[in-house]
Amino acid sequence: MVKFLKPNKAVIVLQGRYAGRKAVIIRSFDEGTRDRPYGHCLVAGIAKYPKKVIRKDSAKKTAKKSRVKAFVKLVNYTHIMPTRYTLDVDLKDVVNLEALQSRDKKVTAAKEVKARLEERFKTGKNRWFFTKLRF
Amino acid sequence: MVAVKKTKKTHESINNRLALVMKSGKYTLGYKTVLRTLRTSKAKLIIISNNYPPLRKSEIEYYAMLAKVGVHHFNGNNVDLGTACGKYYRVSCLSIIDPGDSDIIKTLPGEQ
Repeated sequence: MVKFLKPNKAVIVLQGRYAGRKAVIIRSFDEGTRDRPYGHCLVAGIAKYPKKVIRKDSAKKTAKKSRVKAFVKLVNYTHIMPTRYTLDVDLKDVVNLEALQSRDKKVTAAKEVKARLEERFKTGKNRWFFTKLRF
Repeated sequence: MVAVKKTKKTHESINNRLALVMKSGKYTLGYKTVLRTLRTSKAKLIIISNNYPPLRKSEIEYYAMLAKVGVHHFNGNNVDLGTACGKYYRVSCLSIIDPGDSDIIKTLPGEQ
């Protein structure tokens, strides 16, 4: 009886090219829109996870291993699995519906998401979100 | 968590309450609609039969945990649950949206 598909909720994408990847809900459309008459949400997720960083690595290697590739997508609710985790990153200003209109805008939005997720990864918080889901 | 052996009396009363919900309340049957009611936070109680596939059962329980909705494991398989709902087909999971005149919501989640 509590709505849980809210912004900042961490979810796992189940279908499509990004199946198995973790993402965070930026904006949810419970009622659907004219183009998508079903419940869906705008998510930003990790396409390529950062690799495991060990103490032996040099600074150059750490920087290379901590890179993240991000994606931005509209997904149907039936194609995501919600989790009990949340991720507080402020992505609302950079990821919005008009960023999905053209390829260039999507790429710039994904780059901005990549930058914000990388700095969050470097702080060491939300470690669950940045570990690959093994299946 | 060891489940308490359900006595015949409470089992019959669950069936009675379920019959009352079928008559006077709103419900949906089936996995897809159960998940949909959980997502839109319309579900008040979920009832699962005892021969439900365990992975899917855990998935529904996880969703119900997120939505803070009670899950009741029915003491019978999907054939029995279908009969309890008054249907001539098997029902493996159902979601009660509006209990109507029944007090199933108040009496059941306490046990679970």
